[in-house]
Amino acid sequence: MKRVLVIALVLAAALASAATKKKASYDPKLPILGTKFQSLPTGEGKDIVEASCFPCHAADMLVQQRLTEKQWTAEVDKMVRWGAVMKESDKPAMVAYLSKNFGLSNKFTPLRTRPAGY
Amino acid sequence: MRFDEIDRRRFLLLATAPLLAAQKAVVPHARESLFQMNGYAVNAETPLELLTDYVTPNELFFVRSHWIPRTPDPKKWRLTIDGEVDRTGQLTLSELKKLPLVEITSVLQCAGNGRSLYSPTLPGVQWRYGAVGNARWSGVRVRDVLEHAGVRPTAKHLHVFGSDDPPGKVPPFHRSIEMEKVMADGVLAFAMNGEPLPVAHGAPLRLVVPGWAGDHWMKWVVRLAPQAEPQKGFYMDTGYRYPLAPGAPGVAFKPEEMSPVTELFVKSNITTAPKKAKAGHAYDIRGFAFSGAPDIAKVEISDDDGATWQEAKLDPRHDPYAWRLWSHRWTPSRAGASRLCARATDIRGSVQPREATWNQSGYLHNSWHFVDVEVTS
Repeated sequence: MKRVLVIALVLAAALASAATKKKASYDPKLPILGTKFQSLPTGEGKDIVEASCFPCHAADMLVQQRLTEKQWTAEVDKMVRWGAVMKESDKPAMVAYLSKNFGLSNKFTPLRTRPAGY
Repeated sequence: MRFDEIDRRRFLLLATAPLLAAQKAVVPHARESLFQMNGYAVNAETPLELLTDYVTPNELFFVRSHWIPRTPDPKKWRLTIDGEVDRTGQLTLSELKKLPLVEITSVLQCAGNGRSLYSPTLPGVQWRYGAVGNARWSGVRVRDVLEHAGVRPTAKHLHVFGSDDPPGKVPPFHRSIEMEKVMADGVLAFAMNGEPLPVAHGAPLRLVVPGWAGDHWMKWVVRLAPQAEPQKGFYMDTGYRYPLAPGAPGVAFKPEEMSPVTELFVKSNITTAPKKAKAGHAYDIRGFAFSGAPDIAKVEISDDDGATWQEAKLDPRHDPYAWRLWSHRWTPSRAGASRLCARATDIRGSVQPREATWNQSGYLHNSWHFVDVEVTS
């Protein structure tokens, strides 16, 4: 019985060690996936973009795009059809902001994150 | 395809023993992380250099979400089955698990993996290389579930619904899949790599469609409805469609000039290669390859822009529709800038092309994967 107990304790320690080792390999300074988001550059139109786009998705989706003004116009129109709330009069400023900041030469570096629980 | 039947006792052991699962899991390397492509709804890709194991650990597996899911309570969750069946009704998770259990290992790739590599550029999640992984999926066959409900021969398309319906006018991610494919190969999975299916991957139930792109692998499944006609809606009629015939880069195809994305294209990626090398020294080059066909026939490596090729060694581990790991011992012959590239050929004879076929949504990118190496004498 004693031997069984010792084996069980050794096994439990090994399992706990494996689990601990796994968790320790992630950099604890990294944000957990889905808890921190990219931010938008300052400029005219930023407030409109934040108010219209952020209810449904993070800024991450915007800052990775490389689109022409024509493509941005089509994207904004699609989002309005899908329920994005914005004044029609705000559309030119929104498209101008997105085209200026996230045009064809845009460079994107995604956030490095760690999975929850690790 | 071949299913590995697993006995109930073994399955329960795997599904309910997290400590054992932790012990079995691959211990991650230092500096592991996921690239966050969208904070909400969560989209994240795996750094390519970490995709070196035959089975991708759950926590490193890429995540694709169309909308923020309303995660079902497993105790209240029910799978509704209606449409072209003799017995409409609902199944609890425990009732579902009374059907024969199966386990398969299959690659899962997002249809849009590699979208950022297309030119001209396209809107959408700018996936690079890491929206792909290979996992063991445990669950029950779609065929068994639908036959249990008395599916009728009039059913030609399985309509699949998840619990991730968006608010307002945002189109729901509702899909359908041909009955022929889903009855042959489809699995409703509630476990992934021996652990209960994680929420990010569709808990409590997701559809697994080996060999087909990830848009068919519906998550948070709550309803199956076999029907005579395909599903309608944005994600059938506009999204996830691929040109019937290739066009010039930048051309806008009409929906009727395209058909739904189905099978994956043959593809290989290099996961391990030196950034710097010395002429005359040997280096291990590694990667993975997969296709919509059940297996890869060969992977070849070139260091002269495709003028000559050397065959890589395929890893013996394989299951139908899983990826093949491969390796190649490369010895650069002279100093200077060198470009390695890999191309795969599947068992049907499809060869990975130098350039992927441009399409307006950026699906199924499978160009040769180049890696630059600086070789010194």
